[in-house]
Amino acid sequence: MAVASIAHGIAPEGEPDQLYAETRDLRLQGFLLFLISDCVLFSSFIFAYLYLRNSGQGWPPPGIPRLDVGFAAWNSVLLFGSGATMHYALENWKHGNFMKYMWMLIFTIILGLGFLGGQGYEYTHLMLVEHVTWAGSGVFGASFFTLTGMHGMHVFFGVCYLTVLLLQSAAGTYTKQKYFGITAGTLYWHFVDVIWVVLFSIFYLI
Amino acid sequence: MSIESPQLAHAGGIADHIHPEPQGFVRRYVFSIDHKIIGIQYIITAFVFFIMGGLLAETIRTQLLNANGGFVSPGTYNEVYSIHGSTMIWLFIIPILTGGFGNLIFPLQIGARDVAFPWLNMISFWIFPVAGLMLFSSFLMGAPTAGWTEYPPVSLQGAAGTSMWAAAIFLVGVSSTMAGLNFIVTILKMRAPGMTFTRMPLFCWAQFATAPLLMVATTALAAALAALFMERQFGVPFFDPTKGGSPVLWQHMFWFYSHPAVYITILPAFGIISEVLPTFARKPIFGYKLIAFSSMAIALAGFMVWAHHMFTSGLAPYLQLPFMILTFVIGIPTGIKIFSWTATLWGGKIHLTTAMLFAIGFIATFLCGGITGIFLAAVPYDLDVHGTYFVVAHFHYVMVGGSLMGVFAGMYYWFPKMSGRLLNETLGKWHFWLFFIGFNGTFMPMHWLGVEGMPRWVATYDPQFQFWNRFESISSYVMGISILLFFVNVIWSARAGKKSGPNPWGGRTLEWMIPSPPNYYNFKHIPTVFGLPYDFSHPLPYKGLDDELTDTPPVTASSHY
Amino acid sequence: MHVDLATLERAGAVIGGIVVGVVAFYALYKDWSTPGIENHVFKLMLLLLGVGAVLAILAGVNVLGNFPKAA
Repeated sequence: MAVASIAHGIAPEGEPDQLYAETRDLRLQGFLLFLISDCVLFSSFIFAYLYLRNSGQGWPPPGIPRLDVGFAAWNSVLLFGSGATMHYALENWKHGNFMKYMWMLIFTIILGLGFLGGQGYEYTHLMLVEHVTWAGSGVFGASFFTLTGMHGMHVFFGVCYLTVLLLQSAAGTYTKQKYFGITAGTLYWHFVDVIWVVLFSIFYLI
Repeated sequence: MSIESPQLAHAGGIADHIHPEPQGFVRRYVFSIDHKIIGIQYIITAFVFFIMGGLLAETIRTQLLNANGGFVSPGTYNEVYSIHGSTMIWLFIIPILTGGFGNLIFPLQIGARDVAFPWLNMISFWIFPVAGLMLFSSFLMGAPTAGWTEYPPVSLQGAAGTSMWAAAIFLVGVSSTMAGLNFIVTILKMRAPGMTFTRMPLFCWAQFATAPLLMVATTALAAALAALFMERQFGVPFFDPTKGGSPVLWQHMFWFYSHPAVYITILPAFGIISEVLPTFARKPIFGYKLIAFSSMAIALAGFMVWAHHMFTSGLAPYLQLPFMILTFVIGIPTGIKIFSWTATLWGGKIHLTTAMLFAIGFIATFLCGGITGIFLAAVPYDLDVHGTYFVVAHFHYVMVGGSLMGVFAGMYYWFPKMSGRLLNETLGKWHFWLFFIGFNGTFMPMHWLGVEGMPRWVATYDPQFQFWNRFESISSYVMGISILLFFVNVIWSARAGKKSGPNPWGGRTLEWMIPSPPNYYNFKHIPTVFGLPYDFSHPLPYKGLDDELTDTPPVTASSHY
Repeated sequence: MHVDLATLERAGAVIGGIVVGVVAFYALYKDWSTPGIENHVFKLMLLLLGVGAVLAILAGVNVLGNFPKAA
């Protein structure tokens, strides 16, 4: 849909349509493959966590408190909400509603920061109040902090990228035909969301 | 996804877009984004690491001349074989087959001007020598001593060099992952018009099967290495059993990558053989589709057999069984290739050039290695010979008798394309025969040494094994001399070899249709393809190549995109 | 009604989950027949987003979750 419209759209001066359409196609494929490899990275650590969890004496292991599911559910909803706002941001851009796009993007960033703040609260609570740390709490601390930490870093990079997107959009870098940066940002943000669905399930729900 | 070729050569598209030629030494030869230059950079760098890894190998063989050793201390010996294995796999064979020959040849064979992401390609390359230097720097801080597999708990206790090893291999893995991504997109999207998947040369099929392994499997290794690093440096427990971790977890994570990794090391070599054999037998390759699809089958099945490296680690028998059966099954597509190659030779007009000698030799030695792989797949047999020289024999037969001979075949075959000069055939034949004799002398006796009980990774051994160890060591020196001859050949021929012209071998794939060396833009006009390249009795299946060997310049883009 | 922070969090999770879930599934429904790989990927991600929202709701009402008293 989007590619076809680009191929027949009007390109700004300098760059032929066909060339843009083909290079955009390559970039899209490359970006999707990158997301797949990122998926494999998370999957490897998820395998390690499930393997270690299964070979022990119940979960959480003795001496480790249970995680706060209610808080995590709320925090998750912040992140999922940001996924919804990002979806609408892209929709608005495609339909030419620049101001709505900007607001949706801003809400996405705010919700994403909110999620990171929540994770920060969770971490400080675990480390300072419950005394559960990365290196000092056996495989529970190892798997929990490694996986959620990796995810948090991905969210952080995503927030940075979305902020850059905001600035670039304000400066007019993207047009109605050429906005692959926004598409890629949306794909990445959804990816980060989906990873969280999995992590939330395996750490808090089972 | 349809296997029909996307018609990418529309007017104004990538196929018509030729950049101006890069200027200046740095842009042309150092930070080049040209896949051909990057390919040559990979090959040269990989051969440098090959020499370093080879010197480590000769250190091993010299130590093993005598049952009580005496050449190096046992601690140093452990470092030597650990770095030898790591170097040969990660710094030599994988980069040269994928980044080297892959980059160099397959874009030409699919009729493209470059790979999908040339800048990413350049970054992929430059990470490689940096990572390699990091790996060798581990010698300065106490290199890893637990083999290239670095099992915990020993690897948790090793000197600082083990963490450096983990970081270095992680880095070179990033390079691999990016290269795999690049190759997948290139093959999916940048084939010439008319080149459906079933008209693609077999070397490209091999790279297409290898690229997902590079991308997916290497990432799994990155996770394992990161976990090891975090545990060693920050105390985060994954593998330490005293803290609730599991050493077997490392084995699962490591081998989930490292088994597909061995297919990374062999599939491109299969591809090279599939190109060399038809050209020098003047016959179409037998079973094109069989070979193409068996490569994909091997790549896929390669993900399902990792635990055959773990039969002695305490895996439950009900788990050992499926891995054993799947490993047997992987022998089938491989066997299909061996039959197809043999049938290609049958009734052909064989030209025994050096490339062809290596290709035919490959079939013999790889077959041997493949068969011992089937032996090892059988759990009862493996329980007996795991960790002995039988395993060492097996993997050297497939990696040296297989992959390395594929590399040599590729060098003799494609060196003229890249340099415009032929490698000397006389030196080449000396290289081949000395190598073949030396190689078999070095590694054949390891089979029975292993069965008789000589363990691997030992600096000294029981005197009953002395005779054959001496025999192997002397043979390894013969092999070393042959490789020296090869390098002399390369260096001499690059300057003074006989000029080759565009197609010295009468090859039929697209790279032979352009000058040697190719122009920076590869093709003046991207050709249209309407058949398989291997049909020797038919005219060439290309249209639009009339201008390639003349002196007219291409139309270049007026501005840099 | 006794409202403490924990209840507030759960209420937020349930309400937010409903909102996000509705948005996600509605967007999925509306965009169901768009062609092209990127749209297929978006649809898959919207589906998983919706699943996540459902999980958050179920966690908020104590149906799912690793709780001290088995749920």
